[in-house]
Amino acid sequence: MAAFLDSLTASRIAAGVSAGDFTAREVAEASLAAIAAREPQVQAFLQVTSELALAAADAVDSARAAGAPLGPLAGVPLAIKDNMNLIGTRTTCASRMLEGYESPYTATCVQRMLDAGCIPMGKANMDEFAFGSSTDSSAFHPTNNPWDLERVPGGSSGGSAAAVAAGEVALSLGSDTGGSIRQPAALCGVVGMKPTYGAVSRYGVVAFGSSLDQVGPFGRTVEDVALAMQALTAAGRDPQDGTSRDCAQDFLAHLDDPVEGRRVGIVPALMEAEGLTPEVRAAVESAARTLADQGAELVEVDLPHLDAAIAAYYVIGPAEAFSNLARFDGIRYGYQEPGCSNLAAQSAKSRAHGFGAEAKRRQMLGAYLLSSGVYDTYYYAAQKARTLITADYASAYEKVDAILMPACPRTAFKHGEISDPTQMYLSDLYTISINIAGNGGVSVPLGLGADSGLPVAAQLVGPAFADRDLLTFARAVERGREDEVAGAAAGAVAPAFAGKGGELA
Amino acid sequence: MKELAEVLKDWEAVIGLEIHTELTALDTKMFCGCKLSHDDEPNANVCPVCLGLPGALPVPNKRAIESIVKAGIATNCQIQKRSMFYRKHYFYPDMAKNFQTTQGPVAFAMHGRLDLEVTGRGAAERPACAFGAAEAESLASASANAEGLSTAMNKQMAEGRAAVGALSAMSGYDTAGLAVPELHEDGSYTVPIRILRIHMEEDAAKMVHVGGEEGRIGGAAESLVDYNRCGTPLIELVTEPDLRTPEEARLFMEKLRRIFLTLGISDCSMEHGSMRCDGNVSLRRRGETSLGTKTELKNLNSFKALHDGLAYEICRQAEVLEEGGTIYQETRHWEPSRKRTQVMRVKETADDYRLFPDPDLAPFDLTDEFIERCRAEIPELPDAKRDRFEADFGIKRADAEQLAGDPDMAAFFERAAAGRSGKEAQTVANLIVNELTGFLKASGADLAASGIAPAQVASLARLLASDAISSNQAHEVFGAMAETGEDPEAIVDARGMRQVSDAGALQPIVDEVLANCPDQAQQYRDGNQKVIGFLVGQCMKASRGTGNPKLFNELLRASLS
Repeated sequence: MAAFLDSLTASRIAAGVSAGDFTAREVAEASLAAIAAREPQVQAFLQVTSELALAAADAVDSARAAGAPLGPLAGVPLAIKDNMNLIGTRTTCASRMLEGYESPYTATCVQRMLDAGCIPMGKANMDEFAFGSSTDSSAFHPTNNPWDLERVPGGSSGGSAAAVAAGEVALSLGSDTGGSIRQPAALCGVVGMKPTYGAVSRYGVVAFGSSLDQVGPFGRTVEDVALAMQALTAAGRDPQDGTSRDCAQDFLAHLDDPVEGRRVGIVPALMEAEGLTPEVRAAVESAARTLADQGAELVEVDLPHLDAAIAAYYVIGPAEAFSNLARFDGIRYGYQEPGCSNLAAQSAKSRAHGFGAEAKRRQMLGAYLLSSGVYDTYYYAAQKARTLITADYASAYEKVDAILMPACPRTAFKHGEISDPTQMYLSDLYTISINIAGNGGVSVPLGLGADSGLPVAAQLVGPAFADRDLLTFARAVERGREDEVAGAAAGAVAPAFAGKGGELA
Repeated sequence: MKELAEVLKDWEAVIGLEIHTELTALDTKMFCGCKLSHDDEPNANVCPVCLGLPGALPVPNKRAIESIVKAGIATNCQIQKRSMFYRKHYFYPDMAKNFQTTQGPVAFAMHGRLDLEVTGRGAAERPACAFGAAEAESLASASANAEGLSTAMNKQMAEGRAAVGALSAMSGYDTAGLAVPELHEDGSYTVPIRILRIHMEEDAAKMVHVGGEEGRIGGAAESLVDYNRCGTPLIELVTEPDLRTPEEARLFMEKLRRIFLTLGISDCSMEHGSMRCDGNVSLRRRGETSLGTKTELKNLNSFKALHDGLAYEICRQAEVLEEGGTIYQETRHWEPSRKRTQVMRVKETADDYRLFPDPDLAPFDLTDEFIERCRAEIPELPDAKRDRFEADFGIKRADAEQLAGDPDMAAFFERAAAGRSGKEAQTVANLIVNELTGFLKASGADLAASGIAPAQVASLARLLASDAISSNQAHEVFGAMAETGEDPEAIVDARGMRQVSDAGALQPIVDEVLANCPDQAQQYRDGNQKVIGFLVGQCMKASRGTGNPKLFNELLRASLS
């Protein structure tokens, strides 16, 4: 059969490899060809790992030839955000500070995807140390939105989202501290999930905000994301991450369960929020109708302390980032300023020249917020806000099974369009509170916006450790769209790149 | 400079200790599975976690938590069921993450107490004015004004205030009910020393500065870091400022060491740094209630250094103050070779460590079951063992104290002295305290490796107690026994050492000695009692050491009277 790789879902690729329709090596080569053809425009990758990819593909093919059982994601090309360690690759976090840094160990989340049979195609671009919502703060190059190259893919996991949206890979891993999976998924028209905090191990993922960070997958369909969630959690809790939990469950078995009689919350204040564009609002309302049409009950719920979420986030996030990034001192590894005569100068200059502006801004903010005298005013207050917001969600989930809201207030913006950092922070309006509360959230594409012609999306959020159920709602929204003509079919890549390189012989 | 005794008449020294103990008995580090050993090649026992590599995460060592809970119970602390790890930030290459994982306002163990029995010459360091009711005032005012670690944290952090406030309310912890030292007739006294907290933290790496002066970083050609020690589980005990003399500080440290050794949580080697002590000391005029400025002493790496360093610093501060000078809040280094303290670093402002709860480590909720299991595993503690040795074996309290403080020695004593009491048990104790410890110290061997068995010491004690050999001979026999492993009886027989206690056999020797020493005999008759020692010595010599010296003594006196 002749087909372009980008027309196949991860689920279909794994099935094809298992059935012998094509080999993992053919898939890897097709993915490399697609990357070669599309990267000049998209620039989603910081590093393409051809050798690792082909070796992993050959291992899958040998296993199959030997009659060994194949993993559920056998032969599926995977992009890995560059803050995740993988032996044999550089882990730069898109920062000069770690340019050329090679980790001696592999992150648990990456290892689990590889154990499931994924082919590691490369390391995806991101905002420096995951600080940002555009991927423009990468120290090496920006990434372009496959739907409009003049626009950003969102961030911080912009490379991971763009690689999937452009059809270079079928799956990717991102990390989400305040929306860094869900916002770029929304801007690139793909599915992106931030699982509940603790569901996926953080071991080996370079930390930004340790109490907020969570790893999750991108895919072009809800089913693909469910497959990835299964791979990430099937082995149970990671003994190397003290905050991880055992969340192993069958993410596929209930994916197509009906939502009839289930309750979906709508937060009126969020639908009226300043900055929410009419086309996004309309799309979220259409998703609500889709769910209602399938028999779900729409229930209004209130989250009274949500206003405090962004403020709390910009205290807790920078405070933890200040602490986590203190280790990058130009002494043991990473960027080292040449010619320094003493320790203090070496550290100060290496940090001054190794970090970009946003990384410095957040660390300085964090250092201030934790200093004695202001700790009570900010950090302690932020923790109290966190408790209240978490309680808000908990009481909402007594009335509903999931909440539907926008993922991002608008569609993708142009490179450089938002220069004020505080305006940039507002693009995470809808995603941040989920990291504060720790619950899971998933961004589901809803076609193209009526005004901009760019991808729009809704976000579904659910109770803690109800991530499997959350995907059932996401699948219901996706299913509702399959019959519609909304400008972009579910699971399709950005049209400019469809079929551009990557033919599967 | 004035003498310590002179200074302490006018000045009251307020001393608090911070004691770090590495949990060397554990197999692995605090937050990773690396082997706990400082003897291996540099950087042999490291992993992404203790090297602080990007993406690595800590997982707490449960056995370390058990150790600190035991330490807390054994020092009469309240075990906190809920406590957290915090991050303490400072920049230095010995801490790979540039923050140390430690504890915040609430530590695993808080508000404990150890009672010190101060006897002998050391007791005289506390002047007569520092007893009774006046001391109650002194203790209350010192702790009310002390700026300890936790008080700073309580001020800074609302959650600290809340947590510690709740604790205080719960325990009724104050100085009102605290016993104050009363002087006994023999000059000894007992003083309660309160413990503020014992918290858990990780040790830093070891740095070696090559090519500089005295191993300091200044002027070094290169600095090397060995991360084998990085992440070693460490417990830090902080006392209240209840100590008043260097002797009390030394005794506290000794007592704590004996407890930790008995618990089996550390080898407690001050020499190798697995137990380290910093001393905080300030002076105030007797009767003052406000505290003076304190200095912090480092490099107190032996009991003697702890005592002498504090004694010097007290005298130095007194001299400065009496000359109208100012004490600066600074860290000072004790130089034992020059017998002085030197400024290391001046603390003009408090360091801002930006403490906050470690988000990678969930708060600890210790169950009653866990705490009770730890309590059940605590062996008999040194004080109880000392009292039992004194009561059951009838040995001297000082010897009982020394034996009970070393778990191996205590077990050895119990086996060697089994079934004995009074003089016989005391003879066993004497042999262990004098001969055995002296031999081990001189040979550098430890008890197990020495090969000396309790039964051997028991049989040696029997020979001594029955006057079969003299104590001088016992020393010789012990040496031979330790060297050859032979039993004392065999050695005594082989060397013909069996002591002659037959007056009829010894009288001719006495007569001969008196005939040969007419001058000394006359001196004795003229009233010089001391000369008897010389004559006994001559008798011993003439008998080639086999005569019973006590019997010689009696026979000489009888012959001369």
